[in-house]
Amino acid sequence: MKLYDYVLSPSCYKVRLLGSLLDVPLELLPVDFHPGREHKMPELLALNPAGSIPILVDEHLVLTESAAILAYLAAHHGPNWLAVNDPAAIGQQQQWLAFSHRLTRALGGARLVEMLHFDGDLATLQVDGVTALRELEAALFAKRLHGSTFIAGDTPTIADIACFPYVALAPDGSISLDPYPSIRIWMRAIRALPGFIEMPGIHRLHELAPDPFTEASK
Amino acid sequence: MTATAMRDAWYPVGLLSDLQAEGKETLLLGEPITVFGFETSGPKVECNGRSLPVFARFGHLWTSLGSPNKDLFTIPEADHPDRTLVDVGVVRVKCSPLRAVENFLDVAHFPFVHTDILGAESHPEVSEYKVEIRDDVDEVWATKVEFFQPQAAKSAGGGITTEYMYRVPAPTCSVLYKTCPPRPREWDVIALFVQPLTEDLCDVWPWMALFDDESSTTELIHFQQLIFLQDRSILENQIPKRLPLDPAMETPTRADLTSIAYRRWLKRHNYTFGAQLVAG
Amino acid sequence: MVAETDARWVPVAVSADIPDGTVVPARLPTGPIAVWRSDSGRIYANGDRCPHRGMRLSHGFVRGESLSCIYHGWRFGSDGACQKIPAHPAVVPPKTINCGALPAIEALGIVWAAVQTPTEAPPDFESYEAVRSLVIAATPDAVARACDAELNADTIKTQCDGHDVVLLVTATVPEEVFVIVLVDKKLNLSDRIAFSTGLEALRRTAEAKGYAA
Repeated sequence: MKLYDYVLSPSCYKVRLLGSLLDVPLELLPVDFHPGREHKMPELLALNPAGSIPILVDEHLVLTESAAILAYLAAHHGPNWLAVNDPAAIGQQQQWLAFSHRLTRALGGARLVEMLHFDGDLATLQVDGVTALRELEAALFAKRLHGSTFIAGDTPTIADIACFPYVALAPDGSISLDPYPSIRIWMRAIRALPGFIEMPGIHRLHELAPDPFTEASK
Repeated sequence: MTATAMRDAWYPVGLLSDLQAEGKETLLLGEPITVFGFETSGPKVECNGRSLPVFARFGHLWTSLGSPNKDLFTIPEADHPDRTLVDVGVVRVKCSPLRAVENFLDVAHFPFVHTDILGAESHPEVSEYKVEIRDDVDEVWATKVEFFQPQAAKSAGGGITTEYMYRVPAPTCSVLYKTCPPRPREWDVIALFVQPLTEDLCDVWPWMALFDDESSTTELIHFQQLIFLQDRSILENQIPKRLPLDPAMETPTRADLTSIAYRRWLKRHNYTFGAQLVAG
Repeated sequence: MVAETDARWVPVAVSADIPDGTVVPARLPTGPIAVWRSDSGRIYANGDRCPHRGMRLSHGFVRGESLSCIYHGWRFGSDGACQKIPAHPAVVPPKTINCGALPAIEALGIVWAAVQTPTEAPPDFESYEAVRSLVIAATPDAVARACDAELNADTIKTQCDGHDVVLLVTATVPEEVFVIVLVDKKLNLSDRIAFSTGLEALRRTAEAKGYAA
């Protein structure tokens, strides 16, 4: 499977992250998104007329929406990550996958303005971003009362992976994550999953690695 | 208060490959400027109707609000024809321009911020190195900086002990020279050019001159953006935002000799835009 | 001299929001702090600033009984003293390097911190316990008005969704308050969830344009 990828793209990171969590090898094809705007060049537009990345190519199948790519990877390699039989679970998963697009637009939009000089109405994007974060916080708080950490179901699903990157990178768009304790616990649970990988701006949990000083004194 | 000494220095304000005839508005040392690129007459920068001096070098357009008493610095090592010159592109950071440079001069953060790439938590030690302010060229230099790196460069296959030299030739610019994995006798050149927008906001323009026949330019850009964006989340969370020049405010160690020299050099020249002079 | 307000317990977080081995950002009226729980479950608070290069310690990590800075890995103990500087593994850090430990205790499911150790215990609300915290972009008075209740010593007693609740209101930055909400310990799960939804409505009211006037 080939992934047209940009190292700073949270949407590309969703695919890299799930690929790593499910141990699916992905051949990464780096796209010069910034400063080169290669995703708007004829070759990539031919593959994806929307002019966006990620693009996943698996033989004759081409997928250009990150949620669709996540569903495809999970269906192949991680059926537990995908809701299939339970109508309520399917509905919830779709709900949060759709919600992730709000995060992309608002938090991702603010990030592109604040970080990479894109045009946009920053104040509106930030207000929309905070509204979405509050909704997520309230939902995750309710899940915690039920004894679960993840957004849909009791185990991590593609909905968590779809929402995680733009939330974790909200500070890039000058939106603080300080006021959201349930989001913090949820992000920590994702970062603690076996096979988790970082992207710039999202640090690993150093405490999961053995303490080198204790190791040395043994 | 605008530190007048910094007005006479050169600053990057755009990529030569990406200048617009209609002009792009930005800030320099808190003042609004407009950067134009014209196909026939070349680039131009205006500040409140006044034309500013311009200079094209290292893939970037440079300007100054004052009257620079010398040309923009050179990087002779970067002139080798075999090198790949890489415009990494701009990244805006909500931090003092001086904090951005100081972070670039630091190796001790590699194991924690660039984990398993530029450093490893199992090899955090910074051994002694040499730092001086070279009065003849008026630059800060650190040499013989050695550090263990799991993946020093895109072209590095595995862990190596990398040697660095750091150079500060202008108040918001730094050039680093590091071991070049494919050519042991040459140095890779990585520069950080910082455009000070305000005292706590800057645009950072990384630039590289590398020997790397294996990687594509896009891969090289991605590698450097990966590294720099790992730093950004640190730089935006330092308190205070401005770089403290009062020694009582922060606690340096031997590993921070380059930073100590940089701060001393800034203070000596009154390069204080983005600095905090007294504990607040 | 110790200001009177410094020797006072301030509610800074819900205990359950800080699992073992984690650190979170919080605020005292004097500024930002880092609150952390060691692997053995003990709660600590200190300034949210590493004395080395000013990095926020709430971005750091907890291992065992110490807190490390994410920037250069400087490690601090429960007394705030620096225990380790990874760049100089053989050096014993001088005692003067300290991130400023603050008094911190837990009661009613709340972490309370102070600038100076208070002589009195934090207020007791007997049968209540903390459930949730939230930030409201409004003044304490506007929050009280949205509750249709009085603000008394940073406390609002009111009803939400038909249940008695206590709101502990701390003004942190201008036009923003940190609120910890307490409910009856016996309140069941579905009522707690309904009540959390009620809180969101309360926040919308308090933040509505012109409400503070």
